[in-house]
Amino acid sequence: MKTAAVNKIVRSRRSLSRNDRFTLSAFVGIPTLLQIIFLWFPTLITVVLSFTYWNGVNVSDIKWAGLANYKNIFLGSPVFYDALKNNVVWLLWFTFIATPLGILLAYQFDRKIKGHQIYETIFYMPVVLSLAIIGIIWNFMLQPGGFVQGVMGRDIGNAVSIWGNYSINSYVIMAVASWRHIGYIMLLYLAGLKAFDSSLREASAIDGATEWQTFRKIIFPTMRPVNVIILVITIIDSLRAFDLVYIIYGTSTAWPLLNILAFQNFAGQGISMKGAAYSVIALVLCVVPILIYLRNVFKEDLQ
Amino acid sequence: MSEVNNGISRRSVLKGAAIGGAGLVAGGSLLAGCGKKKVTGDVHYTIRGNLSDAGAKINIAVNDAYTKKTGNKVISQAVNSDDFQNNFVQIMQGTPDDAFGWMAGWRTNARADSGLLADVSDQVKALGSSLSAAAIQGATNPADGKQYIIPTTYYPWGLHYRKSTMTELGLNPENIATWDDLIKLCEATKKKGLVGYALGDKGGWEAMGTFDILNMRLNGYQFHYDLLNGKEKWTDAKVVDVFTHMGQLIPYMNKNVLDISWDGMRDLLLQKKCGAMMMGSWFANDFKAKSQEDYDDLWIVPFPEINPEHGVDSIDAPLDGISVAANGKNVEGGKDLAQFWGSKEGIDAAVAAGDTSIYISSDFDTSGYDAFNKQKLAVLGAAKNIGFFLDRDTRGDFAGPVVGPAIQSFLKNPKDLTKILESTQAQWDALPAL
Repeated sequence: MKTAAVNKIVRSRRSLSRNDRFTLSAFVGIPTLLQIIFLWFPTLITVVLSFTYWNGVNVSDIKWAGLANYKNIFLGSPVFYDALKNNVVWLLWFTFIATPLGILLAYQFDRKIKGHQIYETIFYMPVVLSLAIIGIIWNFMLQPGGFVQGVMGRDIGNAVSIWGNYSINSYVIMAVASWRHIGYIMLLYLAGLKAFDSSLREASAIDGATEWQTFRKIIFPTMRPVNVIILVITIIDSLRAFDLVYIIYGTSTAWPLLNILAFQNFAGQGISMKGAAYSVIALVLCVVPILIYLRNVFKEDLQ
Repeated sequence: MSEVNNGISRRSVLKGAAIGGAGLVAGGSLLAGCGKKKVTGDVHYTIRGNLSDAGAKINIAVNDAYTKKTGNKVISQAVNSDDFQNNFVQIMQGTPDDAFGWMAGWRTNARADSGLLADVSDQVKALGSSLSAAAIQGATNPADGKQYIIPTTYYPWGLHYRKSTMTELGLNPENIATWDDLIKLCEATKKKGLVGYALGDKGGWEAMGTFDILNMRLNGYQFHYDLLNGKEKWTDAKVVDVFTHMGQLIPYMNKNVLDISWDGMRDLLLQKKCGAMMMGSWFANDFKAKSQEDYDDLWIVPFPEINPEHGVDSIDAPLDGISVAANGKNVEGGKDLAQFWGSKEGIDAAVAAGDTSIYISSDFDTSGYDAFNKQKLAVLGAAKNIGFFLDRDTRGDFAGPVVGPAIQSFLKNPKDLTKILESTQAQWDALPAL
């Protein structure tokens, strides 16, 4: 029994030529398939494994653990809360300091201040480096026996404690991570500003708006799509932070992050599915902002 | 755990068949190996470390000697040691090299139970009386009584210092017999503007050496071993005592303990910046690589007695050796190479290449030992009980993820001790049964 609606759909499908259909299925089908195989399948397995005990070798050794791994993490592992704290500090720092700084820089450079190309290049340079490389560079600079210590005339015996000094190491790590993040945000925002209709700015100037009013009332709201992307990038980058800290501290959890804990319990000598549970916690924390972002995007499309 | 039949783990063979028959080929050659056939074929070998390290050159020298003897080519590749250890289980389940340097204790036994390592009992037998009963015992997996590692070298964890520094300070470290003597030595070094007791714990394992020896000195080897295997409690007053002693050393430590790793500790000693350092003496190769003068200046003594009941009767002396991957392409070849490493010819090749390690084999002529090696032997000889080091004496999912951070937390905030120990015990209790 065919209803009119179904007929309509069938007809509209027919309007695609064979070539179109092939291209479409290739362009949508193959990435989807790869995504399912390499992303969704492992994710699903990780979620299931987080409810088990296993040492990672023989599948027959997997034992059901129920919520034991999660109970262990939430109730028994103080290092989890240290990691959560560090992730939150990272997130707050990026959201309220690094990202606004990037936006400020983009705004200034967009006004073509004198020598802006030179500044742009300087701030953009760290963006081409991965966080792992940035970790290697700054570890080399700041560690005992490192370059900066050498310049200060400190040898390894009396080197200024930086990575192991808990009243400053978080700030140093944040500063190093921001070194790249600021340039990244600057670049994204600058691209957005280039597309900004300058007549809006002129109009607000004619109406007697101050610079700050123009930015807050005109530019910032108009840039909403870019703002959302930047916010999501900031949140996800903060929660998936790993490589920089791993390069500096290795698997020792001297400055723990959720992903470092996942890695330490997954890789290393003692493989336990506590690592899977850590991954799932990090995943849930990441998925929420992604969902908000997607909802936003779809809402806009519907409008 | 794994059903063993003719030296082939059934499970590993099945898995091999699933992967693509590689395991079956290995199994077949394993059976053939029973008939004393000459082993042939290329052998793949993993060097843990950088090719530029002193250790890598020694590895290559021994492998070259094997090729010269048997005509079998050895293809060596260097892999970052931390990466190799962290990804060990994954590497062993993929396409591992046939043989590699490995560590006896939990790290071998647990992986053997999972069917990842090949049984080398026949090779241990072939090496015969050159291996002492204690060495074989140390390399034996208690689960099935077989060996999965050919023990080659071991090294003592002890107090290291430089003779020249001590002379300058007018100290005689041979006389550190008691805890008070050690504190006095630390005090004197500190007064001269040097680090009294060098420690780094950025890696999270370095300070385990200090914990181990304090526990063994205060409470004895049996308590230490039982604690690491869940038969004693971390909240015990005896454990509190261990950390109290560690706390007494903190004022004499470098102020950047959590900034430096073992190589930082080594450099402190190498650059004459510290008095005593508790460390495994494997790093002596680096002193020798720097200069013979530095090497000759290096000395080791046992950690002093604290509790007269236990004296200096225990020591951490991790046993190293060569293991063979069960999933390698040439398991027989790997075993043959491993056996060569334990034989007189293998040891001679290593020593000729500048190895300063202590070989466990009696085929190795100790009369050729230099003064430092003789002293290492004396330090080892002073002990009756031998531990393998914390991260090899206890479960891998406990040592690194739990004890490591616990000691780091203590070094950060010694006042939190009660909380730290309670949490450590709670985390042991939460571990799944093996």
